Amino acid sequence: MSALKATLEGGLRYRGRQGQIAFILHRISGLGTLLFLAIHILDTATVYFIPRLYEHAIALYRSTPFMLGEIFLVFFVLYHGTNGLRIALFDLLPRLWTEERQRRAFAWVLGISLLLWLPAAYWMGRNLILVNFLGY
Amino acid sequence: MRYSAVLLIPLVWIHIALQDVITGVHGIDLDYVALRWATLGWRVYDVALLAFAFAHGVNGLRNVLHDYVHSPSRQRLVDVVLLFGWASVTAIGAAAIVGGVRMP
Repeated sequence: MSALKATLEGGLRYRGRQGQIAFILHRISGLGTLLFLAIHILDTATVYFIPRLYEHAIALYRSTPFMLGEIFLVFFVLYHGTNGLRIALFDLLPRLWTEERQRRAFAWVLGISLLLWLPAAYWMGRNLILVNFLGY
Repeated sequence: MRYSAVLLIPLVWIHIALQDVITGVHGIDLDYVALRWATLGWRVYDVALLAFAFAHGVNGLRNVLHDYVHSPSRQRLVDVVLLFGWASVTAIGAAAIVGGVRMP
């Protein structure tokens, strides 16, 4: 518990700038995705174990709050992967791992995540509006 | 972590592109899953996705928990619980992919 306290108290005081943001976003996106994934594996498994439940689950996922959540989930997955690539790449070539390069690399991570996310968010959002609100 | 991660980037991102963006949740139903799994290739893909993604995630969770749990005995408990959780969910998922869709 003391570690948790240290994290919560120190986390706001530590001015780690991009590095700290990259780290905490990576953790949160990872944990969030994992939580989603555990549920997703179990709900998809119902196609074999209790098929009638699958239809219930899908009906739930077609609701607006879930579809919205999914759009944001996609961003988290994209960010987590892109940032992870940054970490893996720089770990492979540690002499490149300088503060200045990391700050720029993180800007790239955010940019690439956003670039990959926007078309997906557009199509998913369009789908949401067309089907849930306009009845297509 | 990073090896599963590098593999996961195409595995997961293609999965998301196909199911979330191209098909969309309104296109997903039992028939859709049955149709996909009629092809062995997709079942193999999904098994790989399941194995790598969930293992990667649970190991990540293990790292996070070890940041907050320090005594070796507590860490071992955490590891055992995680192993059990990982094995159960992976087994259930794999059984479903191998077993396939059953119509209600």
